[in-house]
Amino acid sequence: MAKIDPQEPESAEKWEVQLRKGSLELAVLASLWDGRLYGLEILRRLATDSDLIVGEGTVYPLLNRLKAVGLVASECVESDSGHPRKYYRLTPPGRRRALEMSRIWTRLSASMDDLLTPLNKDRGKDKS
Amino acid sequence: MTIPTAAQQKIDAYLKTLREGLSGLGDEDARDVVEEIRSHILDKAAVGGDIAPAAVASAIAALGTAEELASQYVTDDLLMRARISRSPWVILRSLFRWASLSLAGFFVLISSLAGYFLAGSFVLCALLKPIHPQAAGLWRLPDPEDVYSFSLRLGFGPPPTGGKEILGWWIIPIGLIIGMGFVLLTFRFGLWSLRKFWRPRRLPGLSGAETMQ
Repeated sequence: MAKIDPQEPESAEKWEVQLRKGSLELAVLASLWDGRLYGLEILRRLATDSDLIVGEGTVYPLLNRLKAVGLVASECVESDSGHPRKYYRLTPPGRRRALEMSRIWTRLSASMDDLLTPLNKDRGKDKS
Repeated sequence: MTIPTAAQQKIDAYLKTLREGLSGLGDEDARDVVEEIRSHILDKAAVGGDIAPAAVASAIAALGTAEELASQYVTDDLLMRARISRSPWVILRSLFRWASLSLAGFFVLISSLAGYFLAGSFVLCALLKPIHPQAAGLWRLPDPEDVYSFSLRLGFGPPPTGGKEILGWWIIPIGLIIGMGFVLLTFRFGLWSLRKFWRPRRLPGLSGAETMQ
């Protein structure tokens, strides 16, 4: 079995990719909390309101999957720009899922903050 | 909104490849996907009501190749259907897809194919026994060095020389039970592996893909 070099910057990067990957579903559901949005609006919302750097080709298949499992619903709406847009909105199960995920995220994040407090203090010292 | 011919051709070529890659989806679903991506490209590339070929190229590049995009849709669709399916055919199709994407999937596929092959052999043997009673069945081979040497004959060709048939007509119920048992076990194994280990590949940003501006 190959040893992982703790100094290898790629290790932390890979972990970050996995973390972002895992939180993308919650981020998409959360972006729809206040109302319906179409794909590009969701992407822009994620870009401005979160630190998630999302590949555009990733979000559309994810929306398709969320729709297939009934967490979001979609409808085509004619737009001023001359082509129809597909708007997504949360379904009641989608709202419940978003709330549940948000609760788990907040709890986990708070407990991790407590655990990481000493590290963050020492990181400040290391930088200085 | 005016779309220059060069930009339109670029969009059409991308969507054509995408549509071809979505052949695993139903027609209506594939059409929906293509229209949504067309709408995305036009919205992203529109600047002040006009669409420049360079903006179209940039919007398309940010989506990734049409093949990759189609692959994500098809993989997601298969994975979802496999997770709720009770059809060995759907599971097997999903395993072929998984095998094309990872080594783990390849091993699960090979194991499943071996399981279905064994299942088929036992069931066929049971079904052929009434038609070729002298040739179909389970024989113990006359190999003094290997006491576990058996031959499952499917009813074609003569029985093994010197072999001793050990089940006789019992091969029919036993072959059917073992065969169906293998089908069930192989199906459950494939389904369990898919649910447990197969995750769709999503690579948000970080990996270097072009992202939202």
